Amino acid sequence: MRNLLNFFLKYNYWFLFILLEVISFALLFQFNHYQGSAYFTSSNRLAGWAYETANQVTGYFHLKDINNDLVKKNVELELQMERLREKLTELTADSSAIEQMKKDVLKEYDIYQAKVINNSLTHADNYITINKGENDGIRSEMGVIDGNGVVGIVYLTSANYSIVIPILNSKSSISCKIQRSDYFGFLKWDGGSSQYATVKDMPRHSLFSLGDTIVTSGHSAVFPGGIPVGTVEDIADSHDGLSYLIKVKLFTDFARLNDVRVIARKEQEELKNLEKQLKGGKK
Amino acid sequence: MIKIIHRMEWFIGLVLFQALVLNQMHIGGYATPFFYIYFILKFNSRVSRNNLMLWAFALGLTVDMFSNTPGMNAAAATCLAFFRAPLIRLITLRDMDEGFRPSVKALGFSSFFRYSLLTTSLFCTILLLIDTFSFFNPLVLIGKILTSVLSTMLCILCMESLGRKKG
Repeated sequence: MRNLLNFFLKYNYWFLFILLEVISFALLFQFNHYQGSAYFTSSNRLAGWAYETANQVTGYFHLKDINNDLVKKNVELELQMERLREKLTELTADSSAIEQMKKDVLKEYDIYQAKVINNSLTHADNYITINKGENDGIRSEMGVIDGNGVVGIVYLTSANYSIVIPILNSKSSISCKIQRSDYFGFLKWDGGSSQYATVKDMPRHSLFSLGDTIVTSGHSAVFPGGIPVGTVEDIADSHDGLSYLIKVKLFTDFARLNDVRVIARKEQEELKNLEKQLKGGKK
Repeated sequence: MIKIIHRMEWFIGLVLFQALVLNQMHIGGYATPFFYIYFILKFNSRVSRNNLMLWAFALGLTVDMFSNTPGMNAAAATCLAFFRAPLIRLITLRDMDEGFRPSVKALGFSSFFRYSLLTTSLFCTILLLIDTFSFFNPLVLIGKILTSVLSTMLCILCMESLGRKKG
């Protein structure tokens, strides 16, 4: 008995070692599998504050490039809109219908402005931290976009910060389609470069060619349809040969992410409230 | 007491430097220096293993908190702390009980170089192995490990030469 005790005392560091490793892996797996606590992540108050302070300085660095991008995008949209307006007036001969349409688009969605305060690219599972949280109306599973295209989906929220799963995460899966032909598949990321992702499950009979634009499908409640994702860069067969794998060049430049918008479908909130009421009523 | 305050200063400084500067760095899309392990490397050789492991765990967890990887850095740093004593024994012929802070001055350049190379490689291998769980690509993994070890070593040696001038 005494020998046994001595043995334990002598090698006590082994137990501490195993204990600490078990705790670490428990944290790791818990974070990877459940929407658990946001406590050990950068959305907690301390880390959020540190990142926000640093971002106030570094946020200015890329402003020139970002401005150029925005101006370019604005001009493009302006031209597109003009052409569409012409077409529509031609077809409907009613200019008030266009105004009505503009209002309708915004009616369905709430849009929150947020700033990226932390971002990673090189991990297998990257996360983005933004400086808006529950107090600002952000809830998990809201869509996040920036001026160029889709960024990701809100994962965890704390009072003032949220963590977003960007496209660059093995957990991310976004339903999207080819703009021209409406065939749809799932956007996944297989590691590697932060500029490319893969669309899986694209049917073999689908029609598309290199350079086609991929947009969100609007089949899920997260994103409205038609938000740009990227362009077709390369086409390959899937392993089972039943579908195509499309390599997509993403519009969003994750290395330069700064300002993003969180979009929430209003009905989604309504539905959640309804469910809450139902649960409350049962109690 | 002063020693503890001094240690906390290093702790906070290294964590902030790691989170705000190094984690944003991706040389060639791969390499991220993990300079914060310098904190663990520089402990006195007489420190008890349990003590060192607890410090390493706390340090790893704090870095994890900033980089949204709960448990990952903590696991790797604890492992590093656990294997540090045998590694020192392997490399130096000096008596551990003598008590010294591993540095170029105390060990000589070649011993210190081997010591930091071994510990850094061990740490980066464990950390990046855990990180790569989801999609295993051996070539990318090896590339990441090599570049990270290289850049971390660079940081450590820079710091070491700075410290030497001061001391």
